Amino acid sequence: MSTYDLCKSYGDKEVLSDVNLRIAEGEFYCLMGPNGSGKSTLLSILASVRRPTSGRAELYGRPPECSKETIGYIPQENFTSTHLTGRENLRYFAGILGYSGAEARRIVDSALEKTGLLEDADRRVSQYSGGMRKRLEVATALFPGIRVMLLDEPTTGLDPSARRSFLGLIQDVKAENVTIVMVTHMGSDAELADRVGMIDSGRVVAEGTPQDLKANSGTSSVLEVEVAAKTQRGLEALRRLVGEGAVETDNGYKILSDDVEVLIPKVNRELDDAGCKVLEVRAKRPSLEDVFFELTGRAVSEG
Amino acid sequence: MGQVSSTGVRVLKEFLRQRATVFWTIAWPSLWVFISAVSFASAIPEEIAALARGAFTISMLLFALMIAGMGNLPASIAEDRERGLMAKLKSMPLRPINDLAGRILGLVGFSIVASIAVLAVGYACGGRLNLTVARAGAAMGFLSVAFLTSVGIGVTIGSLVKEVHGATMTGIGISVVTAALGGIFAPYSALPDFLKAFARVYPVSSANSSLIYILCREDLAGYNPITAGQVAWTVLASIVIFLVGVFLYSKLSWRSD
Repeated sequence: MSTYDLCKSYGDKEVLSDVNLRIAEGEFYCLMGPNGSGKSTLLSILASVRRPTSGRAELYGRPPECSKETIGYIPQENFTSTHLTGRENLRYFAGILGYSGAEARRIVDSALEKTGLLEDADRRVSQYSGGMRKRLEVATALFPGIRVMLLDEPTTGLDPSARRSFLGLIQDVKAENVTIVMVTHMGSDAELADRVGMIDSGRVVAEGTPQDLKANSGTSSVLEVEVAAKTQRGLEALRRLVGEGAVETDNGYKILSDDVEVLIPKVNRELDDAGCKVLEVRAKRPSLEDVFFELTGRAVSEG
Repeated sequence: MGQVSSTGVRVLKEFLRQRATVFWTIAWPSLWVFISAVSFASAIPEEIAALARGAFTISMLLFALMIAGMGNLPASIAEDRERGLMAKLKSMPLRPINDLAGRILGLVGFSIVASIAVLAVGYACGGRLNLTVARAGAAMGFLSVAFLTSVGIGVTIGSLVKEVHGATMTGIGISVVTAALGGIFAPYSALPDFLKAFARVYPVSSANSSLIYILCREDLAGYNPITAGQVAWTVLASIVIFLVGVFLYSKLSWRSD
């Protein structure tokens, strides 16, 4: 799968700019970036749902619209019908792909089995959990002939247990030599990929294996500060200390630094002075989200 | 199953499993057949009461077809778009014409269920029709005209109105208003002149009058809609409305932006 100088604009707004990707057969490639970075647009072009403004995309040497029988696209929305059972939904998609009768029943059962939904196949999808529904949607991309799975933010909205279970399923799919391209803004999801492309403002700013991206980052460690309550004064105090290397997280703040041991007491003192109660300070190795922040100055979770 | 039949089965099951859809398309017109039979029974001369009830049953049957085509179909298209199914389908080797044909097939199935229900209630309430093989054949033709018009308008709404609630309300609104203006809720003879003109131009109203003329009594239709010019206009207008819907659906709902 390749893209050549791919650009996409909506009116004056450029969403993708000169994107050049080369993804090998059987590879698990993750496109990581914040909301609005153009990653879903890129995926939809690969899925032949949208057309590029200039440049081109190819799947097995052909434009995506000529390779639709090989594409298993899973949009971010829950596209399966809640009025139908899991099996009926899959029968519908099997019919669209031209399967009928006993052959359709066989491939539907196989897809249900692979996704662990065989027991619940005859329940209405309205009774499925979010994780089950996402698995069912992956099942629509497990029919024979589909060689490329395109997943748009598949773990969004899943609880941690369902998320881990879902990512396990993706690993199983990868073992069958299906090429997987997954869009995410979660670094922990991207850790599973063979290669990660970091995309920001429509441009791929870095690409490599998760290990290489982290090893090549300029930061050796990250300080995570958990606080009782995040305040603007707390963030300003940290930025006075380390500049723009401090950023808010769900639980408090995060600081990219090469010298965390020296920094820890200073952080405690500054936050204390700012009236911000510190619960825990942890030093850890940088994640892919940290690498993204270092490259772009933006948190990948930013909207 | 092929693409058309797979889509048809899906759409039919979805319609039959949505209580609101079943109520407004099947139960609501059936209820009106019952209410009209009970409420207006004393006002109708005995010798024509059975055929008058039959005429009202036909009108409510057409109203059910209108709700199905103009309300349920665009709601289904808009819902599929909203939940990402259209994006998924665009990525699959599905021809837009097969998708539309499948949707229409599902709607045909649902409309048959609705028609049988309305006719059964009408018969139970004393409604009768003058049925012969030839009349039934002609009636099928006019039912097809009404269905084609409803589908054309419904597909147009589904292509232009992106949001489910908006598509549903627009479809219901158009079907209720045109039914009221076009002599489907009230006898043609009770309409003012400018609405009589509309009833002759609007294919569903014209089909309604034609069905009543053929299957009930000529005087209940209010005018003779089985003239060559009127029939030609009705058929032609319904085909044009249908083709406009098909064109907009293929251009707007399946456009790769």
